[in-house]
Amino acid sequence: MNYYITYFIVAVGLFSFSAFFALFGVYAERKISAFIQDRLGPTETGKFGSLQTLADIMKMIQKELIIPAAADKWLFMLAPAVIFIAVYMGFAALPWGPGLIPSKINLGIYYIFAIISIETLGILMAGWGSNNKYSILGAMRSAAQIISYEIPAGFAIISVVMIAQTLDLQAIAMQQGVLSAEKIKFAGFWDVTATGGFFSWNIFRAPHLIIAFVIYFIASLAESNRAPFDIPEAESELVAGFHTEFTGIRFALVFLAEYSMMFLVSMIGVILFLGAWNTPLPNIGPAHLASWTTGMWWGILWVTLKTLGLVAIQMWIRWTLPRFRVDQLMNLCWKVLTPLAFLCMLISGVWRLWLM
Amino acid sequence: MSLVRVLFYLMGFIAVASALYAASTTNLVRSIFVFFVTLFALAGLYVLALADFVAVTQVVIYVGGILVLILFAFMLSGKETLDVIQQQKGKFFSIGKLPAILLAVLFFIVIINVIFKADANNLSWVKDSIANNNTITPNAVMIDNIGVNLMTRYLLPFEAISVLLLMALVGAAHLSRKEGSE
Repeated sequence: MNYYITYFIVAVGLFSFSAFFALFGVYAERKISAFIQDRLGPTETGKFGSLQTLADIMKMIQKELIIPAAADKWLFMLAPAVIFIAVYMGFAALPWGPGLIPSKINLGIYYIFAIISIETLGILMAGWGSNNKYSILGAMRSAAQIISYEIPAGFAIISVVMIAQTLDLQAIAMQQGVLSAEKIKFAGFWDVTATGGFFSWNIFRAPHLIIAFVIYFIASLAESNRAPFDIPEAESELVAGFHTEFTGIRFALVFLAEYSMMFLVSMIGVILFLGAWNTPLPNIGPAHLASWTTGMWWGILWVTLKTLGLVAIQMWIRWTLPRFRVDQLMNLCWKVLTPLAFLCMLISGVWRLWLM
Repeated sequence: MSLVRVLFYLMGFIAVASALYAASTTNLVRSIFVFFVTLFALAGLYVLALADFVAVTQVVIYVGGILVLILFAFMLSGKETLDVIQQQKGKFFSIGKLPAILLAVLFFIVIINVIFKADANNLSWVKDSIANNNTITPNAVMIDNIGVNLMTRYLLPFEAISVLLLMALVGAAHLSRKEGSE
């Protein structure tokens, strides 16, 4: 019975983490955008405006929940829940440190890939349920975009899996540091099993994975509907896309899902390419920096820092680049990213056979 | 009853009930979304049968791919065409639907027959496997097994499917191509 209690605690913990992260993320986004656009951002509520998002969420909770008269009530009400739950379930299989993973399943990455594709369905539900032409256009754009970008993302993931020879995220994480049970070679020639640090991360273990990482990162921006791929909610054309009609707590849930998705895709990127919870510091001679900074709490620290770094890059990109047009978006996906991802997969196979 | 059995009946019930709703409702979009519940319950049943790879594949292909494509086709078609389908008169059972009902009932009889004839509790090959310890445990890694079998024993069907998919791809590309402006 104790098992089940632990499961519930873990589930509640992950939920509160994603809620907390969304609060922090919105604040960070506003501050970063203000910095990039040479403004101040929120300053009034709390010190440096730090309580602004808390005030926002208070306002959201108090708002009236409006259902449009012509909407399909069930689809409209369930859509935000489906969108959020799809993202939230992905968190179940992410490793946070050595031996620290909510659910140790041997299909880890495949499971996450499957479960976040359900988000598309939630977005289509929202679009159709709202019975509003802007919503439905946004939903269709979003679905087209997510389906297309799943292909390069999937192949970039496969090229890592071919190098790692496992779908278990904890095993993939374990291979990228001093705790690895197998021999690791930096760029295929220098044995760094005992050195660890950033030398043994996947992107340096097989350098073509740097390209795979960039492909994955671009595709993950598109999958979480972030600028420059935010045509589903393009304000200037579609009002707000699929969440035009949502108010109050439902709107908050859609946003919670977006920020959780940002964290989720960044963390998958960190786990697959950037050494997961392993330290970036290598062992140099008598200074065993890598061995000293590996452990459960260090693991949580490193993985959080790396993931927040990627999230910051996502925000930086959002406020720097203009939005893509639909045709440019599809051209980039099908004519550039997909062939490159195929190439990465091919190189991975050769690399695994001849250089490892 | 053990937890596994409770879960089995729960998911079986959800699958059957949602499938019935999907078949009987006149609201087409809702029937697609309910079909999603059916597929998810089926995936749960696969997990209970220790076929977690099949379960996840089911979600990837059917939910992430096929259902979304159906919805796409749905949303791209005109509202008038859909209204005609949605305003079908008549009850769930009617004389006009007799051939369909007959087919469904016959197929149901065949399935029931197979289930009872197979006698799943004392199949000889199942007993042999248990006697030879040739079984899988809940935390066994099955992907190696699937990969090796796909590339050796089931290579021909695997390749045949890939050729079929390639044909579909070429056909789709040909159909959607712009006519040359001569």
